[in-house]
Amino acid sequence: MLILTRKAGEAIAINDNITVTVIEMKGGQVKLGIEAPRHVAIHREEVLTRILEENKRATETTGDLPALDAILKHKKTA
Amino acid sequence: MTEATAAMTNKHEAGPNRPATMMTAKFGEISIDADKIITMTTPFLGFPDSRRFVLRPHGPESPFIWLQSLDDPNLAFVTINPALLIPTYRPEIPPMILDELAVKEAGQLELLVILTIPKGRVEEMTANLLGPVAINPGKRIAKQVPLDPTRYDPCWQVLVSDEGTNP
Repeated sequence: MLILTRKAGEAIAINDNITVTVIEMKGGQVKLGIEAPRHVAIHREEVLTRILEENKRATETTGDLPALDAILKHKKTA
Repeated sequence: MTEATAAMTNKHEAGPNRPATMMTAKFGEISIDADKIITMTTPFLGFPDSRRFVLRPHGPESPFIWLQSLDDPNLAFVTINPALLIPTYRPEIPPMILDELAVKEAGQLELLVILTIPKGRVEEMTANLLGPVAINPGKRIAKQVPLDPTRYDPCWQVLVSDEGTNP
């Protein structure tokens, strides 16, 4: 992993079209500003982790669904 | 897995309109219409090796739709049209994802949400509103779209939703 030290207001450049700027450091948090082309996906990592975990859990879904159909119909009419 | 996939691939190459078959864990042998295959522009998180899927309705009257992987016979998600759960669920799809799915606006996409159903506890079924699957039905391409975690719950309780505080 490349590790760089930056102060507030300083930035790093990735390729020639992505800039990550340290906006502010306060209360143990760092606020970052990211400029990138619109095709570059930027997410808080834990969001992707959360979706990955839920995808894994979902694949443990049982194949026995007839009971489910009944439940959903019940819910709609409730 | 490799045998089934290989057999399918061979038939697919022999003629794109000829149905191929594949052995799956949940449905046994299924026939696959090459014209119905949906390709993920980005694989599902956690399943990088599965790019091709087919949609299989659970039954003629059922709201549930299976997303069966053609690259992994063991991988299938059960999904539902989120409008059936939450009529107001119309998440904003980021422009880069509209580009990736080759549409101009979100209205051109069909959405499905993945359900998690704990074994033997059907009533605890949850829907993943944080990562819906967006499909371009014309081009048959799809992507799971990560949304804003402050607004969308990955474990939205389907059957107690009336008392919940979800959107």
